[in-house]
Amino acid sequence: MMIDHLDENLRGKATASLEDIIGNDPEAKTEWHYLHLAVDAVKDAGLYEEVAAVRAAWKEELKITAGAAASRTTTLRSISASAGSEGVKTSGTRVRTLYRYTLRAAACVLILAGSASIYKYLSVSSGSLYDRYYSGYALNTSRGADQTNAMVEAYNAKDWTTVEKIGDTARVSRTNQTDFLSGMACLEKKKYDKAINHFEQIIAVNNHNGTGYYQDEAEFYLAISWLAHQKINEAMPILEKIRADKNHKYHDAVEKMSFFDLRLAQYKENK
Amino acid sequence: MKAEVKYTDAELIEAISDDTDLNGAIRFIYRQHAEATSSFIRHYGGSEQDADDIFQEAVVAFIDVVKKGKFRMESNVRTFLASIAKNIWFNELKKRDRAGHRNKQFEMGRPQNEPDVAEHINDLERKKQLRDLVDGLGESCRKILLLFYYENMTMKEILYHLPYENEQVVRNKKYKCLQQLTGLIKNNPAIARQMQEIIK
Repeated sequence: MMIDHLDENLRGKATASLEDIIGNDPEAKTEWHYLHLAVDAVKDAGLYEEVAAVRAAWKEELKITAGAAASRTTTLRSISASAGSEGVKTSGTRVRTLYRYTLRAAACVLILAGSASIYKYLSVSSGSLYDRYYSGYALNTSRGADQTNAMVEAYNAKDWTTVEKIGDTARVSRTNQTDFLSGMACLEKKKYDKAINHFEQIIAVNNHNGTGYYQDEAEFYLAISWLAHQKINEAMPILEKIRADKNHKYHDAVEKMSFFDLRLAQYKENK
Repeated sequence: MKAEVKYTDAELIEAISDDTDLNGAIRFIYRQHAEATSSFIRHYGGSEQDADDIFQEAVVAFIDVVKKGKFRMESNVRTFLASIAKNIWFNELKKRDRAGHRNKQFEMGRPQNEPDVAEHINDLERKKQLRDLVDGLGESCRKILLLFYYENMTMKEILYHLPYENEQVVRNKKYKCLQQLTGLIKNNPAIARQMQEIIK
């Protein structure tokens, strides 16, 4: 009854009489305080857990940002190194002449390939690459299906609104599976920011706990989400990582992607 | 953690107090304030792990203060958070028995106009003990209590997330779990002693 009172399930007289008991009976009063303390402890544990999850995601974001910055620095270094070595070659007249011929030949090739390139240039974008490479995810229902039955059922029925809603109602009961399904539902509903948050959360949690549950899926669909979001600079390091890892579940899918097109889209976005 | 909402201090306090977007508010706090505070902790001898742990404690304490309506906007959020973190770190150093040396460094680094946050961090140790007890409940009990008391879910909503047959089963389970937690608290001598003093 005291727990019902605590949960505000009691009405009218029952509340008044219980409050009377708590006020006058020391034992009941002590019990009441302990119940309150227990509930406060639960609330504090929930808050602590929620902050811990954000902390893990923030650390992961820092790591990704640092990785992308390092990759850009490496690219810039290699470009300036090759520019430097060409500078040495052009120091002599003969080399300069040869260089000029080479440039002319290259220009001819460029003119011949011009029309195709212009078409390619105009047609390639993050969005078009997303359309080309996105395919839905068929759920293996044996993975944790008992705990998220309603969500799994909604996902299999392609009821994205329900999947998203179930995912939204729990912060603490989140698992990598609920985050993944929510992320996929958001991707289907073109809510890319939200999808990205879900996939990053999975990566952060795995990183924090040393686990790999839905890790490969999250990485691949995170990259796809960035493409959909027209932010190819964020997608590229992830796709390159997957391509370099032969054991990655999505290695083959990424291997089939045209990195030329991806880099072209990246160039256009960075212009 | 991308495409974040930006808050002014007042909006941040409101988002936390009203619980409209607590998760977004926490993410904003990390993006805006974690680095500065963590670098302070590292500067005063903490490792990166220490800095992360202390900032996490500070964020939890800050949210608790705001939710209880005790944040009075006399200082800005950044200063307040930094001050909480410094105090927690100071206490941690004391615990690690290196207070003599570090204490001096800490005092030297503390501005005169910094808010007094001592009252807000007094019971952090007790809260940590209580959190440990919640963690010791076992996964199913922990989850059901968190869903009900932290997420404010109804029994029906909890059914979405946990493998129980119906609402009554959830209700019974929740009842038992809360009793179990209360029992654990009563059996913890340090907490029980404090509790007796409060009740007196």
